[in-house]
Amino acid sequence: RMYVRARAAPEGLTNKVEESIKTAEEVCAGDPVSGECAAAWDEVEEVSAAASDARLKKKSSDPLEEYCKDNMEADECRTYED
Amino acid sequence: MAVCTIYTAHSLNTTSQITKPIKPHFGSHQKQQIFLFTTSKRIITTTPSRALGSDISCVAEEQKTIVIGLAADSGCGKSTFMRRLTSVFGGAAEPPKGGNPDSNTLISDTTTVICLDDYHSLDRTGRKKKGVTALDPRANDFDLMYEQVKAIKEGIAVEKPIYNHVSGLLDPPELIQPPKILVIEGLHPMYDSRVRDLLDFSIYLDISNERDMAERGHSLESIKASIEARKPDFDAYIDPQKAFADAVIEVLPTQLIPDDNEGKVLRVRLIMKEGVKFFEPVYLFDEGSTISWIPCGRKLTCSYPGIKFAYGPDSYKGHEVSVLEMDGQFDRLDELIYVESHLSNISTKFYGEITQQMLKHADFPGSNNGTGLFQTIVGLKIRDLFEQIVTSRVGALQSAKA
Repeated sequence: RMYVRARAAPEGLTNKVEESIKTAEEVCAGDPVSGECAAAWDEVEEVSAAASDARLKKKSSDPLEEYCKDNMEADECRTYED
Repeated sequence: MAVCTIYTAHSLNTTSQITKPIKPHFGSHQKQQIFLFTTSKRIITTTPSRALGSDISCVAEEQKTIVIGLAADSGCGKSTFMRRLTSVFGGAAEPPKGGNPDSNTLISDTTTVICLDDYHSLDRTGRKKKGVTALDPRANDFDLMYEQVKAIKEGIAVEKPIYNHVSGLLDPPELIQPPKILVIEGLHPMYDSRVRDLLDFSIYLDISNERDMAERGHSLESIKASIEARKPDFDAYIDPQKAFADAVIEVLPTQLIPDDNEGKVLRVRLIMKEGVKFFEPVYLFDEGSTISWIPCGRKLTCSYPGIKFAYGPDSYKGHEVSVLEMDGQFDRLDELIYVESHLSNISTKFYGEITQQMLKHADFPGSNNGTGLFQTIVGLKIRDLFEQIVTSRVGALQSAKA
């Protein structure tokens, strides 16, 4: 079984990466140098890049910062310039 | 930006300078109160205000927006480079507010980055059907790319399509206003000669050797297969653009650790073309010499495997270039200020600016090695280029008036 590490990525995208890898392997099994094979792997590249971006976005968010975006007036969020 | 001088009939000594950007966005012309038309000499006069007893003459410089091309394989989206660049100008880059959540555009006060994937002529299904990759020029609309980049450069807003990386479809377009600096980022910024001629500066990020598996989230075999399958198109259409780049950032395996296959320590090269207008290459100690420098010693403690710099003239794809190389990684930032103080022509505004910029974004990928350092340097170089172009325009404008 293929090892897939994509914990925080949105469900749909993670499945899509797996799916597109499967398709690419099937397409390339027939003809490894065809345009179809290259296009299939290119899709893997694109989908996995999108998934990794989504993961990065999710990971980098700070819970307090996120909360303060919507609650600027809360005690834990107030900042004064001087 | 257009510089206008208003002379009113009543008092000729009140000469005001309007430096508000005038956007001749076609369609909204008729509704504007001040009617502008351009003659071939680029003199704009206003008709209705003449009736009010004033005469406005504008000398609009022909190219307002500075265009930077950034070539990188699947570079759209992540764009650490873009965030480093906008940070040099001050302010953060954000996606357009209230638009398509999957928009690839990033906007800051001075800079707008558009992703060239938005000019795909075939969507994901279309490419699959035809058996072409996104690297293939047949999957991209260079006519539209040229027209829209040209329009933005001339100060005209455009309706740019959006390629949705999640769905793989072409979404309805978004309005892009002409910024001070436009960065076009993607696979083919220097492929089409018409687009290439619009670029004021071009960068090629050569990171083909650095593929982070954990980040990509699939197995080694599938990554290898993917690289193999895309290689013919990559070599045919993407790689040749290096020859046109004013600066190339090359990421290679380290030479400090024998037979390193972990790929955590990197050797990064900044290849700078000589003789580019408004761009003076960075040098180490002495311009034009060949130097190898290990900063670790009595003044600087480094942990294994240390840091090694190299600098020297070279030739690259038939051009004369200067190459600055850094192998190894920083453990502490005082190392960086030591290195910065030995570099020249870095276009900083104050001592320690590179170090300060790197500190500001210590969490960005590449902040502890040459990738982050050279991206920051290129960012400073672009700021310098921008300021020089603006100054030269104002100079040309004033001499035209005199």
